[in-house]
Amino acid sequence: MGKNLSALVAHIAVIVAIIITLGLVSAFAAGASAGQGSDRFTGELEEGATLRILENDTAIKQGYLKELLDAFNAEYAEYGITAVDANMDQYTDLENDGPYGYGPDVLYQANDRIMRYVDGRHIMPLPVDAIDCLDVVGEQAWMAYSAVSDGQTNIFGVPVNIQGPLLYYRKDLLPENWEEEWDDDENGVCDIVEYWTDLYRFSKQRKEESGGTQFGYMRSFLEPYFSVGYLYSYGGYTFGNNNTDPTDIGHSAGNAELGGRVIRQLASIMDERCIDDSVTTGAYSALASGEFFATITTPDVYTMFVDEMKADGYSDEFIAENLVTADIPKLPVSGDLEDESQGFIESKMMGGVNGYAISSYTDYPNAALAFVNFATSYEMISRRNELLGIVPARSDVASDVGGLSEVINANLEEGNIVVMPSIKENAQIWTPLQTFFQDIAKDPYRTPAEYKYDTLEKIKAALQNVDQQIYDAIFTLQ
Amino acid sequence: MENLTKQSAKSKIVGFFSDRGRKISEFFKSLPQRIKTKFAGAKEILYEGNGKVRASMLIMGLGQLMYRQWAKGILYMLVQAAFLAYFILRGASDFIGFFTLGTQESNAWYGIEGDNSVIMMLMGILSIIAIIFYAVIYVSNIKDCYVIQCAADTLKNPKSFKKELAELLNQKFYKTALALPIVGVSVFSILPIIFMILIAFTNYGGNIVPPALVDWVGFDNFGRILTLGQFAPTFFKIFGWNILWAVLSTALNYFAGLGLALLLNKKCVKGKTIWRLFPILAYAVPGFITLIAFKYMFSYGGPINQMITDAGGTAIGFLDIDAKWTARLIGLFANAWLNIPSSMLLATGILSNMNSDLYEAARVDGASAWKQFVKITLPYVLFATMPVLISQFIANFNNFGIFYFLRGGLYMDGYFLASDTDLLINWLYNMSIDNNYYSIGAAISIIIFIVTSVISLAVYVLSPSYKQEETYQ
Repeated sequence: MGKNLSALVAHIAVIVAIIITLGLVSAFAAGASAGQGSDRFTGELEEGATLRILENDTAIKQGYLKELLDAFNAEYAEYGITAVDANMDQYTDLENDGPYGYGPDVLYQANDRIMRYVDGRHIMPLPVDAIDCLDVVGEQAWMAYSAVSDGQTNIFGVPVNIQGPLLYYRKDLLPENWEEEWDDDENGVCDIVEYWTDLYRFSKQRKEESGGTQFGYMRSFLEPYFSVGYLYSYGGYTFGNNNTDPTDIGHSAGNAELGGRVIRQLASIMDERCIDDSVTTGAYSALASGEFFATITTPDVYTMFVDEMKADGYSDEFIAENLVTADIPKLPVSGDLEDESQGFIESKMMGGVNGYAISSYTDYPNAALAFVNFATSYEMISRRNELLGIVPARSDVASDVGGLSEVINANLEEGNIVVMPSIKENAQIWTPLQTFFQDIAKDPYRTPAEYKYDTLEKIKAALQNVDQQIYDAIFTLQ
Repeated sequence: MENLTKQSAKSKIVGFFSDRGRKISEFFKSLPQRIKTKFAGAKEILYEGNGKVRASMLIMGLGQLMYRQWAKGILYMLVQAAFLAYFILRGASDFIGFFTLGTQESNAWYGIEGDNSVIMMLMGILSIIAIIFYAVIYVSNIKDCYVIQCAADTLKNPKSFKKELAELLNQKFYKTALALPIVGVSVFSILPIIFMILIAFTNYGGNIVPPALVDWVGFDNFGRILTLGQFAPTFFKIFGWNILWAVLSTALNYFAGLGLALLLNKKCVKGKTIWRLFPILAYAVPGFITLIAFKYMFSYGGPINQMITDAGGTAIGFLDIDAKWTARLIGLFANAWLNIPSSMLLATGILSNMNSDLYEAARVDGASAWKQFVKITLPYVLFATMPVLISQFIANFNNFGIFYFLRGGLYMDGYFLASDTDLLINWLYNMSIDNNYYSIGAAISIIIFIVTSVISLAVYVLSPSYKQEETYQ
């Protein structure tokens, strides 16, 4: 038995020794071989590179991406650099795909989506000196792509266009006598589309006169993106320190409860559809049919309203004249839509900045940077504006285009468009806010005995609860 | 009478668990003897094995070669060589990596390739599975060599390789047939399950996702779930509703499906094929599309509220924030719409096998239609469908889609990151996917697994399928 047992033990011992020795050696070797690395933006283009470009679906459908790729490939043909459509879902997850070589080299997304990759180092900090459009894009747009890493502030994306809500309304549905009755400031612009107090009064009147079948302003409050601005306007904010400190959550800060009251008042001049999202997709046809006088949405859906109006038989000339987009109306200082005695303040709304970023997993960082510079050049951004109707982040293009592009750029710089926080904790704000907005929009449709938000104190307490929920979602399990 | 039924059920459950307890106790008492018996063969090999068996103990296949069993000897040697190659090239580092979960964090900005803890855990599990496979083959190699030795000692010719291969296609075909499924199940089923279970013992999630390095934390996650103040009230509220939901929805779907099948089984019903087609059409539409349609139907802008307001009424918030019980009832209804057709089809198949003589005899004895249903149809159908019923119960217990699509995106007061219609699985999703707390999510899913297993086991043991198996065979 002794010899056999020895042979058995010897075999097991050899196998165990191999596993442990080699395992430990490889573990230590991996640690020892890891160096400091070096800056990858050397300025030398990687000849023969093929760049995978991830663009949004609209740019692909409208043919803009093809134009961009063709132009870039022609420009860089001498270096053998080719840019191709990454052919991936526009919301691809770089965190999971990138490390395994499946992600794009350059990606175009909104700032909140791009910046959540910073902590995991999935996107590259860009060399500021090598960004061509640095001086022609506003500071607020750059702020959306700035973050502190390794003790210094870096830029991780190049802004392309600004997303900010606009008021869409039907000019032909304004009261015929608006110049006499609805232009108190005598500036030649109807007060109904300038001040929330007037829009509220007009909406109330329209609803009453039609027996509840026609409305003035109508929009679901369910989407925080469009609703949180009322809180911002009266001192609320999402995260402190310019939306970078997740420990400081401030939807209840300042007089944010006044914004809550504005929402409750606005809900009362709509109908119950403002509580859920059933009215969101129907807004295009409702504005076309005249059921709604006005709504708020982003600039990129203008064509949806046009298509609906055309389907209702309106001519192109009529639509061009009467489908109007305007800046968001001003809010009363009092936070009461029935009291304009204290004057007005600018409305703040949540917005976003879409832009390009470079994946950390690219083999061609210098070629990728050349592509980003090319795609954000004056010519390409102008073309993007022409084809896709975007609001350019480049101030030179915006001022040449004029109109709402200029207004939205100014709104961003003046802080009236509050850019979505770029930290990953932002993902936790939506559900608590959505719950609150649904609850407060429901309030006018409860019986007086069931009212939950009939005083400012109650609204404040609910907002404090929202902040606590967001805090819990971020920190409880960390 | 009611008390008697309760006592009977109670005594059955107590009896079941005391029976299981006795068996477990017996198992442990007999363990030393079992081990002794199991290792009797090993002891015999160690005592009786000759030099050639010893050679196989040192190097796999060497003994077989010494007995001139060339093919087997070479195969065993190749297995050993392959295993050694695997372990030298990566298996050893995977195995150690399973315990360290990485020592070097990657930094893609500077092109520093570090360790990915999640991949290391996965590859580590694979290396352990490889070691187990190797051990099994190593033991079979020694046994095989000893069998050859015994044959040689008794002057018999050992089985040739060709004959052993032929046996694998004949007497031992079960081994051949099961080999591939076992590998498949190990890789595609057991590996992910082990992986998920192990995640519950790490700090994976929140800020600690690759490239950050994950660490083992033992039972910390379970401790946090049990001790965190906000967790317990929400857990018990959701758990209570979850049990109620699973029982009600399973019962509703089952009995409504059975009722529909019985109705369509009646001779007096004309055009049965057409009538059966309607539920099947509902069944054929993808579930999430049906649920989105239901959500729209019951929304403020949907057709139901449209009809109510057109008739002069006030719109009703069927699924809104105040609609706790209305939303729960709509959930039950939507779930019934989705699942009654499958219950109906199942019951239709079973009813077609019923012996009509039983009903004839019952009618002669004067049994009413209800009595016939309770005494003949129901026991038979219950017996045949109990395993399906249990699987439906588990599916309903873990029914993620219903309330995610009908009423997702709400956090209610008094609930921690959940709403009053959320089931445990929805809460799990809110915490693990929405909030990236994968390890906590894995810990909760283990708790859900234990709960559903206990309930399913108890229900099954109390069912006729378990107690009266012989009656129906």
